[in-house]
Amino acid sequence: MSLPFHPADGDPVAPALRGFARAHADLVELHEKPAHLVARHRDPARRVGLVSGGGSGHEPLHAGFLGRGMLDAVAPGKVFASPHNTQVLEASRKAAGPEGVLHVVKNYTGDRINFGIAAERLRLEGIEVRRVLVDDDLATESDETATGRRGTGATVVVEKLLGAAADTGLGLGELADLGARFAAASRSLAVASRAQTSMHTGEPSFELDAGELEYGVGIHGERAQKSIDRPGTEQLVDRMLDELVAGLPEGPGEVLAVVNGMGGTTLLELYGLTDLVTTGLERRGLTPAAELVGTFVPALDMAGFSLTLTRLQPEWKAWWAAPAVTPAFPRTIEEAA
Amino acid sequence: MAFDQEAVLRRFAQDVEDAHAELTELDQRSGDGDFGDNLRGGLRGAVLRFEKGGTSAFGALGEEFLDEVGGTSGPLLGLLFTEIAHALGSGTDSAAAFGAGAKAGLAAIQRVGEAQLGDRTLVDALAPAVEAAPQGLDAAARAAQEGADRTADLRARRGRASYVGDRAKGEPDPGAVGIALFFRAAAAVAEPDVQNLGR
Repeated sequence: MSLPFHPADGDPVAPALRGFARAHADLVELHEKPAHLVARHRDPARRVGLVSGGGSGHEPLHAGFLGRGMLDAVAPGKVFASPHNTQVLEASRKAAGPEGVLHVVKNYTGDRINFGIAAERLRLEGIEVRRVLVDDDLATESDETATGRRGTGATVVVEKLLGAAADTGLGLGELADLGARFAAASRSLAVASRAQTSMHTGEPSFELDAGELEYGVGIHGERAQKSIDRPGTEQLVDRMLDELVAGLPEGPGEVLAVVNGMGGTTLLELYGLTDLVTTGLERRGLTPAAELVGTFVPALDMAGFSLTLTRLQPEWKAWWAAPAVTPAFPRTIEEAA
Repeated sequence: MAFDQEAVLRRFAQDVEDAHAELTELDQRSGDGDFGDNLRGGLRGAVLRFEKGGTSAFGALGEEFLDEVGGTSGPLLGLLFTEIAHALGSGTDSAAAFGAGAKAGLAAIQRVGEAQLGDRTLVDALAPAVEAAPQGLDAAARAAQEGADRTADLRARRGRASYVGDRAKGEPDPGAVGIALFFRAAAAVAEPDVQNLGR
């Protein structure tokens, strides 16, 4: 047993938000009641505020992507729990541009309801609101449930592309439509070799044998629908790429790949996986046009990784390459698209 | 016909105090048992908020449920109360405006919660009440009660009750019962001459 290093008062989120705001005081400001964070800088051409949020435990999502070129305000919930509608409401009021607010929402029932209630309240105040729903998780693709695919690793892709698009001065409707296209062009799949540590017991939240792998995990530490005998890393990446490529909608051959750590995975592993992913894409006749590698959407300290593929329309590449001055997105200067 | 928002709030609060045990028991069968507490706590808070001043009785009801009440149904009820407050505030203080606000509230609740008629949620009492509201609030209250009663035969497809499947059948959905209490309070204040409100 090994408890995480959280303060003893039981709520790990509030002190972390204060520390985060302190460490990035040049980029963000924290409001505590109700908890939300606002970016200090935004492109003057931006006419629509971009607001996201969701449960905590997925850092640096979402607050790490606050700032010029990405998000204007975020509402962090408790660990793995949706934010309250009042958090989303306050974040949206502060972020609203002359053309209103766009909510970027991961597809979970609680998030949908709380962002939805905030949107209704904003409309009564005369603020226009639209929503982009991120639902990229291939493991939850099913015709039998009405809940649809979960929102996972593609969130960072949608937030980056939308931020750059918003800075070209596009209106609310155009951005909402674009965001839906970004999400629709993306699919993700995640695996785990060890569950995240329970904050209460210090033990892994579920047991997994050494030779076993959870295949198709989400970001809330729940088990996948299936455990598989753990294949070699090359075979595992091949299997994931086969499923992802089959699951992607038709589109251009240029793809963006996100190799994302689930919280307990080293960069040494993630970059090695990236090499397998890019060569694997080329073998399948696809062009790996850009890669994002690191821990961006984890499930606390779960050992595992997720792969996200996004088919890139030609005009999206410049948005991906555009500068973003945020605490966590690894780009601050223009790159050649 | 004009009616007294404050009187509706106080009547509704009293009816919920009286129904607290019943609501709690219903929610223990189908949910996590906190609906009675949430509804009663929200109404007590709304009365205090109204008495502090600065807002209409229904405005206080809406704000309290949106800002302070837990669970999913609390804030969804807050949307209904806020839409009614909005309609009453912008038009004449009448049963017609109440009905229009309830209709807007139903639309907002369905946009957010995505529940349809027959899903065994508060929509099963609210939708018939909204439909009957042009015939008067007494008709709306009776339609809400009948709709709530019918949820006893429905299987939940939304909300926490969906996790227990058929085991919740036989008793009405507590959220729908709460809606029936609300319309009964509104009708009792707005149309005191019509006393056909027995359950």
